[in-house]
Amino acid sequence: MKSKNYIGKIKTITKINKDVYKLDISSALQDCKSGQFISVLCPNKTLRRPFSICDFDKENKILSILIKLKGEGTKYLSNLKENDEINFLAPMGNGFELFEDKKALLVGAGIGIAPLLFLKKEMKKKNITNYLVSGFKTEDEIIKGSDKTVVGGSVLDDIENIIKDKNIDIIYSCGPNIVLKKLSQTAKKLNIPCYVALERVMACSIGVCRGCIIKLIKNNEINNFSVCKDGPIFKGEEILWD
Amino acid sequence: MGLEKLKTVLKNEKTSKTLELKTPIIGASGTYGYNSEFEDFIDLNCFGAIATKGITIEKRLGNDGERIFEVQNGLINRIGLENVGISAFIRDKLPILRQKNIDFLLNIAGSTIEDYEKLAIIAQENSIKAIEVNVSCPNVKQGCLEFGLNPNSLFELVRKIRKNYDGFLIVKLSPNTSDIKALATAVEQGGADCISAINTLRGLGIKIDYIGNKFLKKTVQGGLSGTCIKPVALYMVNQIRQAVKIPIIAMGGISKLNDLFEFILAGADAFQIGTANFIYPSICSNLAFELNEFMIKNNFKDFEHLKGAIINE
Repeated sequence: MKSKNYIGKIKTITKINKDVYKLDISSALQDCKSGQFISVLCPNKTLRRPFSICDFDKENKILSILIKLKGEGTKYLSNLKENDEINFLAPMGNGFELFEDKKALLVGAGIGIAPLLFLKKEMKKKNITNYLVSGFKTEDEIIKGSDKTVVGGSVLDDIENIIKDKNIDIIYSCGPNIVLKKLSQTAKKLNIPCYVALERVMACSIGVCRGCIIKLIKNNEINNFSVCKDGPIFKGEEILWD
Repeated sequence: MGLEKLKTVLKNEKTSKTLELKTPIIGASGTYGYNSEFEDFIDLNCFGAIATKGITIEKRLGNDGERIFEVQNGLINRIGLENVGISAFIRDKLPILRQKNIDFLLNIAGSTIEDYEKLAIIAQENSIKAIEVNVSCPNVKQGCLEFGLNPNSLFELVRKIRKNYDGFLIVKLSPNTSDIKALATAVEQGGADCISAINTLRGLGIKIDYIGNKFLKKTVQGGLSGTCIKPVALYMVNQIRQAVKIPIIAMGGISKLNDLFEFILAGADAFQIGTANFIYPSICSNLAFELNEFMIKNNFKDFEHLKGAIINE
């Protein structure tokens, strides 16, 4: 589906924990898939801000994002009110690939749970067996919707046991690089494919500026790929981690 | 809506070499990729040309680490001339540009005079209508910036490119100099048909947070662009206008219709739009339409007429 510039309207804005807001946006966007993101204009900042889509109500054309307060851009967005306009590019990026016959483990760390909530919903629709584990630093940072929630400690502490107990065939994850890197290594060790959703500072969000580059090893050759256009979803084993 | 009024001809009066543009709006190098990446967002017929990403002889992966740093009303980048290399450009990108009938300026960069000569020869062999020579990339460790800041070496470089290339030769100047007039004069005397200016300014972005009794620091040094550089760009374009007769393609912080008028007064004959594309991907076509509408509404018969009115009234 072609990416376009949309002017949407805030349908609802909900504070869901101490510094995360859920924005439900009504617009003309017809379709999108989990793992894709939108690139939102923040008039007080130079650059747009990318946010994973955490839900899409196709019938009513309402998409949802989670925003965690970090700086002036997210502060501006958290202060939007019902019916305020919001300018965004969508849908951006490649999105997750679904496999109907594979039991999936979804691993979210912190705000990284956002695209996985949407992925879980898509999997449910397709009757794909899945298990979502999420991890948060403290109680007041929890975002609901997981099958298992880890508070304090690491979301990866018990991950090998879960993979074995649930007969997992494939892993999907989003969160800080350190989590994604470790999980990719575990997956490789257990010979299970692992897809990760990366986050990077982006300028253009359509693949031209080369600002959000990562290096992948494919066929023994190292090459640049843009997180915004080639990603944000990559195979963990192909990423040359920093 | 037709944009006939926006037809622009850049002409080197001395040699009579010309570059015809459908409109005076050009997508700046590094913000338009190689060809049709912006197609989802923009009608490619609305602007005069796109300047390709800077192309070098060999493929380059660019800089490691963070490449983008946002500042107030601007952006610092240190991409480091990532590009596919001239062979892959000619093989993979050029056919698409030609098939889609997209006018373009081939932006070239090198680290030796020989690199530039080779690139000019390849452009000549492939009948590329216009090249924009990057002598001023501020975030590559060796190479082009050195040519761009010394009038003698710049003259020599332009002369050698000119010898190998018959098309429309544009040289893109760096603002990181104490004497832009001397550089512009060297470019004109070396045989260039046109100057584009300005490239990015040298900048240093610093971010410091105090978290857990510690200062967390991040620094990014690179080229500064965006609306914050517009006054510098206006000054530089005006200085260049005083020094040379060849046309000037102006850029630096352009994001709205009135910016075009300001640059015309400073001495511009056409415009490039850079950083603003990242925020408003359809800005080039929007500006072309707005300019066209303004001219229709206010009875300017063509772009030359508008320029004359701004400069002489």
